[in-house]
Amino acid sequence: MGLAETIKKELIINPLTSANRDSIIRDLVSRYASVSGISSDKAEEIVNSVRERELLGSTAMEKGIAIPHARINGLDEVAVVIGISRLPIDFGGEEKTRVFFLVLAPDERPQEHIQTLSSIARLCMSDVFVRMLTNARTPDEVYQLFFD
Amino acid sequence: MKAPYSRILVYLDGSEGSMSAAMYAVLLARASGASLHAVYVVNTKAISDLVNARVFISSEKQEYLTDLRKDASRHLRHMEKLAASKDVDVTLESREGVPSAEVNSYIKDHGIDLLVLGSINVVRSRREELTSENDRMMRTAPCPVLVARDDDDLWEMFEEN
Repeated sequence: MGLAETIKKELIINPLTSANRDSIIRDLVSRYASVSGISSDKAEEIVNSVRERELLGSTAMEKGIAIPHARINGLDEVAVVIGISRLPIDFGGEEKTRVFFLVLAPDERPQEHIQTLSSIARLCMSDVFVRMLTNARTPDEVYQLFFD
Repeated sequence: MKAPYSRILVYLDGSEGSMSAAMYAVLLARASGASLHAVYVVNTKAISDLVNARVFISSEKQEYLTDLRKDASRHLRHMEKLAASKDVDVTLESREGVPSAEVNSYIKDHGIDLLVLGSINVVRSRREELTSENDRMMRTAPCPVLVARDDDDLWEMFEEN
């Protein structure tokens, strides 16, 4: 499964309204939980895994992008939740962040996880693409950027 | 009539689609008498790119490398069992690098004349960054390519034959 198969309109939050790292992570995971129907305990486990990973080193990169991620036992497939914040958020990187890609992968599929993360990182090397992402006003507009 | 191929390569990436491709390749090899090869490529280029982009920290790089190498061994062992179950010999190899480049290099090194791949993505985007390694292999392989659809019929066919 490639990145194109994981992008789903219902997993895009625009705008994200939280103002700090922990709340952003929680919002992204909550969206995944409501769409996938996982239990609240499982959602809490995911929040903790993502948060613990961020504490080891922020996934905030250049151009205001962050790719928080975790491998989760029991997931069926790789999932990507995209969140766009109107305001730059301190996500622990050198630059503040406006675009968040939460990547969750089944524990037993490291190859697909790597491919998804790598596709996102490559996409975000494009200044034009990132500018269009941050300028997108609705989930529809974000979704169209991947498939136009 | 003799089959127009004598050396089949199947690419394994751990997905269900690649397992279907493995089964189809075993059946093809048995029916045609072609030799069978299977390769798994640990995508070390993607891991390095993720470290450079600061998405991965160095301990994560090592953890993923270890897991991907284990994944490679596990799937190659599974391939060996699939082939053995149909009395087919298979040459197994694990490589590291860019999957499409390594597969193309294997094809040239071993005179492969048929590449078998698992499911190819439906084209939903023209963006090159969203292209999967399977798509890239299909477009760039220096030999004919056969795409095995991941469906129940294939699994039944493998069980029955």
